[in-house]
Amino acid sequence: MKKNISYILILWGLTIATASAQGIMGGHVTGNVQIDGQMSHADSVIGATDVPQRLLMNARADILYTNGDFSAGLRFEAYQDPLLGFDAEYKGQGLANYFVKYNGSKLTLTAGNFYEQFGNGLILRTYEDRYLGLDNSLLGVNVQYRPVDGVTLKALAGKQRYYWSYGDGLVRGVDGEVNLNSILKPMTDSKLRVTLGAGFVSKYEEDGNLTADDPSQLLNLPLNVGAGAVRGDICYGHWSLNAEYAMKGQDPSALNNYTYRTGNAAVVNLNYSQRGFSAGLQAKRVENMGFKSMRSQTGEMLYINYLPAITKNHTYAFLAMYPYATQVMGEQGLQADVMYKIKKGTLLGGKYGTDLHFNSSVVVGLDTTVTGGKGTDGYTVNPGLGPLYYGDASAEVAKKLSKSVKLTATYAYQVFNPVVENESGDLHHNNILIADLSWKVNKKHSLRFEAEWLGSDSYYNKAEEEHTDRRAGDWIMGLVEWNIGRNFFVSLSDQYAYQDGIGNYYNLSVGYTQGATRLQVGYGKQREGMLCIGGVCRLVPASNGLTFSLTTSF
Amino acid sequence: MKKLFFALMGLLMAGNLMAQNAKLPDNITLKDLEGQTVQSSVIQNNGKPIILSFWATWCKPCNRELDAIREVYDEWQEETGVKLVAISIDDARSAARVRPWVDGHDWAYEVYMDQNKDFARAMNVGADVPHTFIINGEGEIVWQHKGYQDGGEEELIEKVRELLNK
Repeated sequence: MKKNISYILILWGLTIATASAQGIMGGHVTGNVQIDGQMSHADSVIGATDVPQRLLMNARADILYTNGDFSAGLRFEAYQDPLLGFDAEYKGQGLANYFVKYNGSKLTLTAGNFYEQFGNGLILRTYEDRYLGLDNSLLGVNVQYRPVDGVTLKALAGKQRYYWSYGDGLVRGVDGEVNLNSILKPMTDSKLRVTLGAGFVSKYEEDGNLTADDPSQLLNLPLNVGAGAVRGDICYGHWSLNAEYAMKGQDPSALNNYTYRTGNAAVVNLNYSQRGFSAGLQAKRVENMGFKSMRSQTGEMLYINYLPAITKNHTYAFLAMYPYATQVMGEQGLQADVMYKIKKGTLLGGKYGTDLHFNSSVVVGLDTTVTGGKGTDGYTVNPGLGPLYYGDASAEVAKKLSKSVKLTATYAYQVFNPVVENESGDLHHNNILIADLSWKVNKKHSLRFEAEWLGSDSYYNKAEEEHTDRRAGDWIMGLVEWNIGRNFFVSLSDQYAYQDGIGNYYNLSVGYTQGATRLQVGYGKQREGMLCIGGVCRLVPASNGLTFSLTTSF
Repeated sequence: MKKLFFALMGLLMAGNLMAQNAKLPDNITLKDLEGQTVQSSVIQNNGKPIILSFWATWCKPCNRELDAIREVYDEWQEETGVKLVAISIDDARSAARVRPWVDGHDWAYEVYMDQNKDFARAMNVGADVPHTFIINGEGEIVWQHKGYQDGGEEELIEKVRELLNK
């Protein structure tokens, strides 16, 4: 990829030159830039190590040229060297993403790197998350055709980004979606809104990259692996239902220990909502659904599909301390969510109203029996439930106490199985309390206070250096954030393990925002932990020192 | 090689400075809250300004901002005719919760879903939300802001007022 920079730049330049030669020059160049830096020195208590380079830096710039229906973009990335927790494979710099795109009213055509999603993504979703260091964009061609209102057809082919190169497998896919209300006259004004869709994805990969130590162990690997999905979206008044079912053919890979049983996944979302009240129920089951464009790959790169966690995405520090990550080999779960706004002027609502939010989720494994190793079907599934992986329940009350003070209080209970992070040990049971108070002091200043407590039955075992989980024990946390005017903020926080645990993590951050430019500088200690976004996690090692981040859009 | 890159960038940016404000892209595919596909050209306000806010259900500052505007939205609309269009970048994990979320929070905004982030990319919204834009009556992007601090909504309405007084 790096070698191709000059070639691509010239091509890109020529494209724009052509555009201008045709007298349509004008258009706009926009973009965004992000630079993150980090310095860290050793701290044996929290497990931070020295950074020999002193300064680590991730930087990227997206430049987009748009002229009417035509656009061209490129992204330059530099990792000198990558921040702690990012794969060392990222080391280096170069053009990581480039494309030209025609975006008409009926036709969208992209050549180059693109991001696409079929339905909920159970069989295909290419996306990028810069904080996880994840980019599985496809390099190839993507066509979207909308012949009439309510009909969308997609076709694509390409190879997936793998750090600074591309995966071996060729990914091809087609997808169609029809909105019945748009194409069926009698349904035009119906309260019943129905959208149906179906997709198919095929991966082709030569079998040359599987090296077998023992020739008798050579497997007859399928060169083409297919996956298909059907889905529906139905709305009726206050009700909505979204469901998708996906199947994947025989796909022996490193993820499933080269076994031949087919995979499947199902998601159902049922919601009821009206102004001031909503309730939702989500169910999900996944079996052997890790679908990668390179069969030898484990880890988070080269996934063709997306299997998000069914649990709520918690954002408070202690609620996110034991995050759940999707188990692609098998899991089944439920999530329920209820929101209610007590009207203002009522006894409980007070002068400004009160917001209530309840959430609960539970995820268990599949009950399986192992029937063989490599080259066999591998296992069978028994009816019933496997081990408990994760469960939580939370209640949140948000209330404006006066014109300038707002309080949010949260209680949560969690059960966490270490097997989710490939560790062994007993279930952890956690109780969590959070108070979040914001106070608008005057037109220029506002303050925010956060107090959190986590009580856990896990404990830190110094004797077993290998299995010491630095999250263990009971924690308290305090945070003060001072917003000065509209541009500045200063925040000071401390997380402290006061019983059965270890560590004291303080942090001071200062930030400045001007329009779409934001600079943030922090100093302090960062706990080793899982950073999870959408059920995909990255282990972030402990660090101790300075961090900074600069982002801008133009 | 590097020189060529920066020279090219410089040239293009200089061209850009002379040009007018970028327009809101109109052929990006979004979904409304009933699951129906729409093009971004549906984002209209009869020649009056639009506040375009990229947000997500899991983003606390986004929710604080949209809740704060909820309290004053009627007054804003009466005074300036402004419309707030909220673009959710929730992915498959929480996308089904967006409609209940909007109802549960009692938000009277026009909301669209941008699960694949096509719109966010076209608008150069980086990794972080909230990211808020002001669009003038001609559909041009005239102002943008990252993040939200308590009271930040007042800056938004001031920018809208400035636009109307021009």
